[in-house]
Amino acid sequence: MREPRNPFRLRASEHIESDATFVRLFEPSMLELLPEDGLWDKPQILRSAPGAGKTSLLRLFTPSALMNLHALRTHEDARELYQKLSSLAAVDEFGPRVLGVLLSCARNYATLEDLDCDPARKTRLFFGLLNARILLAALRGALAIRRLAYPQDLDRIELRASIAQVAPPLAKPWANGRELHDWATDLEARVCDAIDSFGPFEAESMPGHDTLSSLLILKEGGLQIDGHAVADRLLVMLDDVHRLTRNQRTILLQSIIDLRSSASVWIAERFEALSTGEMLSVGATKGRDFGEEILLERFWRKSSKRFEHLLLNVADRRARAALDGEISSLAACLPDSLEGPEWVDMHAEAQRHIEARVRDLAGRSGKFSDWVSAKHLREGTAREMALSWRSLEILVERESRRTQQSFDFALPADELEEKDDSAVRVAAELFLSDEFGLPFYFGPSRLASLASSNIEQFLHLAGDEFEELIAAAILKRAPLLTADRQQTIVRQASTALWEDIPRRVRRGRDVKGFIDSVGRFCRSMTYQPNAPYAPGVTGIAILMSDRERLQYSSHDTNSEYSRLADTLASSLAHNLIEATLDYRCKGSSWMVLYLNRLLCAHYGLPLQYGGFKEKTLKQLGSWIEPGFRVARKGDVLL
Amino acid sequence: VSVLAAAPRWESYLLEYGEGLLSFYASHFGSKPRDVCFILGKGFDPRMCSGIEQIIRIGGEGRRDVVTIEFDEGRASPSRSYAPRVEENLTRLHAMVSTRDRISSRSVEMWRDGRRTSSRSAANLFKSIEEFALYTDVIIDISALPRSIYYPLIAKLLFLVDHGRRNQPLNLHVIVSENPRLDSGIHDEGPDEVADYIHGFRGGSDREATAGQPRVWIPILGEGQKAQLTRIYDLVKPDEIAPLLPSPSLDPRRGDNLVYEYRELLFDQLRIEPTNIIYAAERNPFEAYRQIRRTILQYGRALEPLGGCRSVVSALSTKLLSLGALLAAYELKQAGVDVGIAHVESQGYSIEEEYLEQPTDTQTVLFGLLLGGEYYA
Repeated sequence: MREPRNPFRLRASEHIESDATFVRLFEPSMLELLPEDGLWDKPQILRSAPGAGKTSLLRLFTPSALMNLHALRTHEDARELYQKLSSLAAVDEFGPRVLGVLLSCARNYATLEDLDCDPARKTRLFFGLLNARILLAALRGALAIRRLAYPQDLDRIELRASIAQVAPPLAKPWANGRELHDWATDLEARVCDAIDSFGPFEAESMPGHDTLSSLLILKEGGLQIDGHAVADRLLVMLDDVHRLTRNQRTILLQSIIDLRSSASVWIAERFEALSTGEMLSVGATKGRDFGEEILLERFWRKSSKRFEHLLLNVADRRARAALDGEISSLAACLPDSLEGPEWVDMHAEAQRHIEARVRDLAGRSGKFSDWVSAKHLREGTAREMALSWRSLEILVERESRRTQQSFDFALPADELEEKDDSAVRVAAELFLSDEFGLPFYFGPSRLASLASSNIEQFLHLAGDEFEELIAAAILKRAPLLTADRQQTIVRQASTALWEDIPRRVRRGRDVKGFIDSVGRFCRSMTYQPNAPYAPGVTGIAILMSDRERLQYSSHDTNSEYSRLADTLASSLAHNLIEATLDYRCKGSSWMVLYLNRLLCAHYGLPLQYGGFKEKTLKQLGSWIEPGFRVARKGDVLL
Repeated sequence: VSVLAAAPRWESYLLEYGEGLLSFYASHFGSKPRDVCFILGKGFDPRMCSGIEQIIRIGGEGRRDVVTIEFDEGRASPSRSYAPRVEENLTRLHAMVSTRDRISSRSVEMWRDGRRTSSRSAANLFKSIEEFALYTDVIIDISALPRSIYYPLIAKLLFLVDHGRRNQPLNLHVIVSENPRLDSGIHDEGPDEVADYIHGFRGGSDREATAGQPRVWIPILGEGQKAQLTRIYDLVKPDEIAPLLPSPSLDPRRGDNLVYEYRELLFDQLRIEPTNIIYAAERNPFEAYRQIRRTILQYGRALEPLGGCRSVVSALSTKLLSLGALLAAYELKQAGVDVGIAHVESQGYSIEEEYLEQPTDTQTVLFGLLLGGEYYA
């Protein structure tokens, strides 16, 4: 397989054709998502918006990926991954120890619900089809692990004699893997042909099962070759479970719980699987029968530094895999400072403007005389001085508003240093960028923040930047992307994401209208002269009790807030809005809804979390239509 | 594969447009009394009635009944804002049909429990050939119908014509009012999150037993369909891609523009081989049918020593080219070659205001295809 020109464009794991490439590009820290305790004992549920890396994680445990990893275990790109998977007992020096069966539920299961037959028959067809596919995939995987040929060597697979006892619904006198394979193939073909026919459906002749009996057949040691179990354990990975019908999903989860099979089961689904009500309560429940749900975005949001580290490692692996291989690190090509000589004049000019403004503002009162003559305002680089003056302007604005009634005693300079914290500095940087056209969204760290905890979003952005680096290499220029060029690429991607919402998202028009209102509201809050929520507002919050009202509304299409509930659920499912539940503030409990960080760039907002404003459902309802209105002076902000 | 040796079903075909089509219908309906059942979509598209209007105006003896297909895309659909336009079209339809003829309506269930059901529902609109016992001709006007409805509808009617028993053949026509400029002003809004296969054309793509077989995907490229292409790709996960470009076309640069529009997707993300690109005339669905049919059979033959392959077609272009994909898939399915049709539905459509206000009839060309009946007997 030829090397890709721009490996960042190979976004989802499905787009990476060879398992060897997949293993080399896989970043080992992704495995931190998996729990240390009970990984194999309890069924695991992974949930996320599209593009967070669920399928990549599952693919890693398939026989082909594990065998490639085993073959590459001494290779620099795969060594760490091999060690981590060894510690999970998924692979050892002899090869894979797990027989991973990865099946997508995005097949024709949901269609079964539309067949003209009774619900019990539909359930039997569903389990029959699922059992047949699990068995077929397991048989193929078993041969792959032993490096045998499929289907030629199916005869060599032996089945444990006790199958008839443990799986009565499937009790058949299968002599070996081939007979089991032929039976499953025939069952699958009959059901699929019936589903896809233009003729009438004949339910009575259709085969089916009552539960997920295949797990019993495949439990430890169920499949043997040459007298030995194929693997230490079986892992059934059901991907895209959100594509099942609600009823199918419920009976599948119940069946997994009821069987309590020794086979491990992992389930991956997008947030779409959840109803509006469930979507609005994600992360609030813990399962007794399942492991605690693994919410990919939320996991990374809690450990943003680790996520940044993961992304930059992913980027470097991709960069090294490029066709010409001249760029070994993306981060090294993205300057993260504006201290170069090309920026001096702009900063000096900005400083002069701001200084004049501050002197004018402070000159009305004697109390800022010490602040204006503070030493640090005249020290450092042009950028440092411009930022110091901009920070001072914010602080002067704050003091002027706060102490209009007080005496004009001079404020001490050391108080200025205390107030001039990092939040004010970031707000100052943002204001400076906005006013004087200086870049703000640049550098590897901010690139990682813009990913909004979503790997695909990061790869998309990084791919755009890498594209320019390839062009620079072709033109024999230094592979460096200037800060302003980085910002241009980020802004273009941000605007494209925003404009693309109606084409990508369920209830797209409503979602776009709502997001636009949130964005404009956050901007109006952020860019107040005294930066009251420094570094800025990037989200809103509703009371947890209001969230419950929304959940209730989602069941009633005539409800006042059903439209808002659906819009919020769709925004959350697509990671356009990120939710934090049960946030304690002002004596109440809140659901905080932050804008996707890439959308923050569209509205010129900072990338930090923490700044939000509380809203009522009534206010948010009007934000879909007609939309948020920037308040004029004296108006109450809605 | 026996189909390799057989001549293509539509090797000889009847395709006319504009004045040529009207002349054909004048001769067809003038030769003897014909009882016609028109099937058309109820929608806001200004072309909804233009085809039937032209054909009814030709005259001829016999019934001229109309079945309108209703489809509700849901409360969030942007199409809902055009409800007054739909009513205008219906008024226009009632005005052109005489009082002795019948206008009836059938509904397609687009959603059930949050799931798309449109394609299966459309295939079940007509269940038996007996429903057409009164008619000599069925004319399906797909101008105001989405692909997810007219694909299974036409396929089902072809199935009924092929397998139903009648004393005399039923003439099955498909007409479409083409207006590239108007088409460019109509946009898909809120495509579904994921692609799916059209009912009847899953093409064995779901089967685990053949999961190891290579998959060949033939997308017919059209403008502004990047999200749809990506989603279909995610469904099909093809090993080989052979995009079909419209060439020759009215705009000679259209094929180049499409390659330019999708260059990143095609060459960086999907990494297709430029030599895989196939071409078909923009306004001849039968040529698209021939090219797709030949490509599928050639891949099948080439990969047979490795256990064969599965083919999937996706139409993301004009209705005329889309029909070519349907005909190829239908014929091959009947011959025992599994061919899937993968598709992404939209939650609705929007039309730019200027196109709603302009008269379209002068710029619209009516195309007609005869797919089965006495001329093929």
